[in-house]
Amino acid sequence: MKAKRSMALTMAAAMTLGLVVSNGTLAKADDVVEIKFPTYLAGENVGAKFFLPEVERFNEKYEGKYKITVEEVPQASYADKIKQLAQQNKLPVLVHAPGSGGIDTQWFKQVILANDMAYDLSDFAKENPDVAANWVDGSVDFCTVDGKLICKPLSVIKPVGLFYNSSMYTSDKDIKDMSMDEFMESLGDNKIAFQTAENGWTSALLLAALIGNEEGGADLLNNNTDEKLYDYTAEPFVNGVAKLQTLLENNASSNTIGAAYADAANAFMSKNASIICNGSWMSTEFDASSSDKWSNDFSGDDVKATIYPGNIALTNERNYGEFWVSNNATDEEKEAAEAFLAFRDSQEEIEALLLAEGGTAPKLTYTDDFKNKLKENRILSELSESMDENTKYVATLGDIFPASVADTEFGKLLPKLADGTLTPEEFCQELTKKAEEAKQ
Amino acid sequence: MKKSKKVAVSKLEQKNYKWIYLFLLPSILIFLIFYLQPIITVFYTSLTKWDGFNKPVFIGFKNYITMFQNEAFQISLRNIILWSIIAATLHVGFGVLVAFILYQKPKGWKFTRAVFMVPNVISAAAWAMIYKFIFNDDMGILNNIIRKFNPDFHVQWFFSSPYAFWAVTITWLFYAVIVTLIVLNDLMAVPEELTEAAKVDGATGWQVITRIQLPLCRNAIGTGMICSITARVAMYEQIALTTAGGPGDDTMSLPIILVKSIQDMKYGYANANGVIMFILGLITLAVINKAFRMNESVY
Repeated sequence: MKAKRSMALTMAAAMTLGLVVSNGTLAKADDVVEIKFPTYLAGENVGAKFFLPEVERFNEKYEGKYKITVEEVPQASYADKIKQLAQQNKLPVLVHAPGSGGIDTQWFKQVILANDMAYDLSDFAKENPDVAANWVDGSVDFCTVDGKLICKPLSVIKPVGLFYNSSMYTSDKDIKDMSMDEFMESLGDNKIAFQTAENGWTSALLLAALIGNEEGGADLLNNNTDEKLYDYTAEPFVNGVAKLQTLLENNASSNTIGAAYADAANAFMSKNASIICNGSWMSTEFDASSSDKWSNDFSGDDVKATIYPGNIALTNERNYGEFWVSNNATDEEKEAAEAFLAFRDSQEEIEALLLAEGGTAPKLTYTDDFKNKLKENRILSELSESMDENTKYVATLGDIFPASVADTEFGKLLPKLADGTLTPEEFCQELTKKAEEAKQ
Repeated sequence: MKKSKKVAVSKLEQKNYKWIYLFLLPSILIFLIFYLQPIITVFYTSLTKWDGFNKPVFIGFKNYITMFQNEAFQISLRNIILWSIIAATLHVGFGVLVAFILYQKPKGWKFTRAVFMVPNVISAAAWAMIYKFIFNDDMGILNNIIRKFNPDFHVQWFFSSPYAFWAVTITWLFYAVIVTLIVLNDLMAVPEELTEAAKVDGATGWQVITRIQLPLCRNAIGTGMICSITARVAMYEQIALTTAGGPGDDTMSLPIILVKSIQDMKYGYANANGVIMFILGLITLAVINKAFRMNESVY
């Protein structure tokens, strides 16, 4: 009887304790400072190809002193994970900057900055002048809030242009030297790889270029990156949307309605479309090593890169850079995180990144070795050479839309623009309504 | 006046009560921590402006007023009503029909019952992805079959109005195995003497079904309807992974609005949405309970 009672008591206690006791992890005493953080630059994300080996290079260089372990998270889940960790005050040491990985700037300001959760990197900048010298001015300015440097600013900007298949699309002039109307006329029967699902990324890029080509359009986009734009009924926006609708009607690849990013990329790499708008990071898809993704006699050798008509490239240097350090990290963890940021912004790593993903480091004096290697990468060289002193840089729609509009609402309305259910004016009004709903 | 008599409890029973309470403790804790506390939080925060991190600010019924004026919310309610009607009629009707067919124990009825169960063990997310491929214009099986007869046929079912609503509906319409199983269970419990007696009195097969078996299964059918309709109110994966509520707001639903509100850091508004879903669930429960007299014995 006694044994029975003890057993019952133990079972009940175990069941109850099992509910209320949370899991804990024991800190391991070690001389090596180990930091672990989640990243979306993993798996199928094109950024993983460079980032994960970079972490390994860091671990090799600082073996016995620092060790970084990354937790690979799908891009679609990254922002949610960080938001949940912030709510629990369990932020990882290093966090991707707002504007990347689905983290919106509104949340960053309202939660992280308002509660002083981002570590001030001003001392890091002073202690590493060679690193800080590489940072882009606009980004440094944007990352400085109330005298604190709350994110590591950008060293590399990646102006976004377009890729075209030269075996399908030919023209007398370079695309960047054409006006938008000339470009649309030059298309003939050529198709563009649009996206009308997910976040409508490739379509959003072309729309930004279309708006940028309208009178006052570039200013409309560039002047609203700080506080976001909530009204899309201005003339340049509506005109840009009208031209996008014309292109969707006349020059969209057959799979456009409902096309996700993979569908758009597939349309381009199967010769169903001769043009795709995307960043330099896509150039790796045109290497022979990615030929398993090609079909219908597509060849990466035929792909050329340039920027948009009207000599427009899409980029926004007024943003929160790449990473920020959580204020609740220990001093040792902050030291390790700063070592990684300094490593990432060293001359060798910046040049390696440019060779892998393209872009430009405006404050860096390139080595001769880098220049020679860049020439070997035909597509990245073409993109780099397409930009000159007259190039107009325009922010993307992702920089001016509130989070839910950028992530879902824009893509959800695109099929209705493509099939003519909505006029350009109605499309802009609907989008404005969605942005209003996103307001606090 | 008659005094209520105190029931005498033996010492042994008193001892047992201690153990009963002790073993009930985990369940009570689960209820308090994981159900009651969140429900109270959801109700309270639905009356606040809250970004999920900073302190909620009480704003009364502003979230509800904004919500009822919102077009996407109105479309969601319309969609939920339509889906509920379809669930209560076609979906449950199909489940009941299959149950009656299986009750006749035709050849291979056990195999059919097992096969009918298969979609239920596949996650809603995977099922949504399967349908995304089935309805794909380029490689989907449906359009490829249609193109055998009409080579120029092109429709992206999930991305074109007005097809998207119906495409989403198809993803769940014929998967009524829960309804089938509970109705079949009730059917098998119907005493054979009743049907035999009816047949002796000259009742036709149709009369046996409509006058005896169906009325005796009304609790199971009612339960099936509650499950089906509340599943429509809370339906998320099938929409999020196919249309995300689009094109435009054509397939919008309350859970999609809820998630979007969280994305925009409007937790108070999201919870107001949650409260409406909760109330819709309660209304469904009350109406079907009443309509099917589920609290009364069927025999």
